Amino acid sequence: MIKSKLEKILLKVQKPGKYVGGELNAVIKNKDEVDVRFAFCFPDTYEIGMSHLGMKILYSLFNSKPYIWCERVFAPWIDMEEQMIKNDIPLYALESMDPIYEFDFIGFTLQYELSYTNVLNMLKLGGVPLKSSERKELKNIVVAGGPCACNPEPIADFVDIFFIGDGEEVDLEVIELFRECKKQGKTKDEFLHLASKIKGVYVPALYEVKYNEDGTIKSFSPKFDGVPEKIEKRVMMDMDKSYYPDNFVVPNVEIVHDRAVEEIFRGCIRGCRFCQAGFLYRPVREKSVDCINEQCHTLCQNTGYDEISLSSLSSSDYTQIVPLLEKLSQWSTKENVSLSLPSLRVDGFTDDILSKIKSVRKSGLTFAPEAGTQRLRDVINKNVREDELLNTCAVAFDGGYSTVKLYFMIGLPTETMDDVKGIAELGQKVVNTFYQCENRPKGKGVRVTLSSSSFVPKPFTPFQWEPQDSIDTIHQKQSHIRENLTTKKISYNYHDADTSFMEAVFARGDRKLCAVLEKACEKGMHFDGWSDCFSLEKWLEVFNECGIDPHFYANRHRDFSEILPWDHIDYSVTKEFLVGECKKAYENKTTPHCREKCSNCGALKHKGGVCFEKRQSMV
Amino acid sequence: MKNVRVWFKKDEQCRYISHLDLNRVMIRAIVKSKLPVWYTEGFNVHPYITFALPLSLGFRGERESMDMRILDDDFKLDVIKDELNACLPSGLTVFDVTEQKCKPGSISSAKFKMRLSSDDISVEELYTKLQELLNADEILVDKKTKKGIKKIDIKDYFKDAKHYDTEHDVVVRVVLPAGSTTNINPTLLIKAFKEKYGLDLFYDITRVDVYDTDGRPFE
Repeated sequence: MIKSKLEKILLKVQKPGKYVGGELNAVIKNKDEVDVRFAFCFPDTYEIGMSHLGMKILYSLFNSKPYIWCERVFAPWIDMEEQMIKNDIPLYALESMDPIYEFDFIGFTLQYELSYTNVLNMLKLGGVPLKSSERKELKNIVVAGGPCACNPEPIADFVDIFFIGDGEEVDLEVIELFRECKKQGKTKDEFLHLASKIKGVYVPALYEVKYNEDGTIKSFSPKFDGVPEKIEKRVMMDMDKSYYPDNFVVPNVEIVHDRAVEEIFRGCIRGCRFCQAGFLYRPVREKSVDCINEQCHTLCQNTGYDEISLSSLSSSDYTQIVPLLEKLSQWSTKENVSLSLPSLRVDGFTDDILSKIKSVRKSGLTFAPEAGTQRLRDVINKNVREDELLNTCAVAFDGGYSTVKLYFMIGLPTETMDDVKGIAELGQKVVNTFYQCENRPKGKGVRVTLSSSSFVPKPFTPFQWEPQDSIDTIHQKQSHIRENLTTKKISYNYHDADTSFMEAVFARGDRKLCAVLEKACEKGMHFDGWSDCFSLEKWLEVFNECGIDPHFYANRHRDFSEILPWDHIDYSVTKEFLVGECKKAYENKTTPHCREKCSNCGALKHKGGVCFEKRQSMV
Repeated sequence: MKNVRVWFKKDEQCRYISHLDLNRVMIRAIVKSKLPVWYTEGFNVHPYITFALPLSLGFRGERESMDMRILDDDFKLDVIKDELNACLPSGLTVFDVTEQKCKPGSISSAKFKMRLSSDDISVEELYTKLQELLNADEILVDKKTKKGIKKIDIKDYFKDAKHYDTEHDVVVRVVLPAGSTTNINPTLLIKAFKEKYGLDLFYDITRVDVYDTDGRPFE
């Protein structure tokens, strides 16, 4: 039915190949032979969603179980959405072309706060009631996971179950429970109560929030006995034994990251104080060289990809990086497979690594010093020194590079105008370094791109209590950088402050924001992560209509003693540790990374990973 | 080393992928198949393939071809067919692998089958209007060229077109110039129809075959 309606509109939209499925390795099952149908929804376009590793892992994992059929759903781009509405086509899954309202589970991965409107819009397009309380039967169970699930409150009214932490085990446990409940004819309510007892499961409907007069939280507690007060995250401790797909769905149309991806470790040893991922995924757990090598080879054979990206939060921190690259190149060169290593740190950029990766093309290098002065880099615990950066640039220039991109953040806690000016000055020093290099590429000028985003305070970081700079202040800082540039060899661009503001609102929001999102959805708002669609004006109008002040969430300094909306979620990193880190930041003091010294963050309780590695200083 | 021509159908979901995407899909299938295909020797090493005549996005193709080189002269052509099919998405099917008998430059025309329908008018009315359009003295339509938009008369190209109606649509069969010199896209007829009657037609077009200068099938 949907298929024949689709044929009439597909040639009216851009890249229709995104909307038809039929890719190599897509999993087709008989819907009458499975017990559970799972619609895995990515709240953004096909090109972005298909590049996402988490979705690939869970898609393959779910489909490895004969009784589950997991299918993919993406947000249709605005031209397609318009056609679908006009022609009465509900949002459908790509494998069966069945509308998502027919599915048992509708799962979302939450990667970005500004995709929340897409989550609601996708439910709406799929003919699924938005609110959990409006979906009374044991079907269309809306579940969500991913980094933004660490503060589930702004979308708590819409989601039945949040998965906290690594999804590989908890997702299956919940699906299995659902299967049992369905067989036994249990109600949705009964199912949710049982699910809430599984570790890593958060059922927002089972909790009650009370507020103080000033709008802060007075109390947060379970409504029923037996519902856990704290929801502990799930962690896959043995990465070698953890499920990893031997196959990816290979798209027919080009996507953002059109290559094989191999996760080499989870977590990050560094503890940069602004970085949420650095705290959410503790402790660091590595895969072995042999395991990575085998998985890479299998993936290339099964997909036909000739490029592998070795993925992690900081690739050069992989302890066996050089042996790994050596092992991989034993077959990769012969089979014309190239390796790429994203997320390289300034201090991890060595000749050894460079010579083995091909995809760092001669066109450019990107580093992220994040702040312009040493003082501020110490505040954020980005343990990179200026001389390290300049040395690395010198190595690169001597090696024939002439373009460098540097990423910064503005609006960091304790930042002064001098720190901001430091960004421009650092750019100038990189330019000077180029001209001091004797072996620099001749006849070519140097190009330095400075890029700044605006700091967004995130839950579970030492800066979770910090106010975000006002949009005006951010604009002033952006101008300050531009005014301090004296050469055309440096170009400066910056991320829009308006979107960062909205990101900050939803990142640390509470349940009162559900009403805002509902209203935004009513007004047809979607794709707010895209400048094509985002409008701060529209958002402010929505907040106004709901009688909610967005600045309360983004720009207010929160007290250490305040109950935070996400305090009932436990990511193993203790609040005491975060408070300590925040205080150290104010004193410009750094914290050594996990391999230098344990800082007692709380992740040790998982009894594995980096916490139990032998430290070099101790050997 | 020998040159081979891979014959395939482009249909189902794969008719919605562009020529560039088709190129990528084919390269990945060849890499995955591990067939002894000649690879380019430049900086960006990849299997060397060329397509005789690109197919517009959305069209089905019943006799499409792709050329490549096989390193082993004695390699069985049937094996190439099976190996590639095992590595291609379901909408792309190799049905034959042959030697390259004609030069791609010799292609001069292609046969299309167009299924046309409309939500606004009945099949009968569509048939009558189409007949009227095809029988007119001239069929003027805007054609995009490298130099900009040009008004052209496509009457001559469609003078031998056959059309008949079925239960759901009107079918037009037509042979049009195709290849390196002149290309007439069958959708020009749909454009002309819209310009004349103000109606949007839904179309499903198949390129059935490709011919050389003598009107013989391209082989």
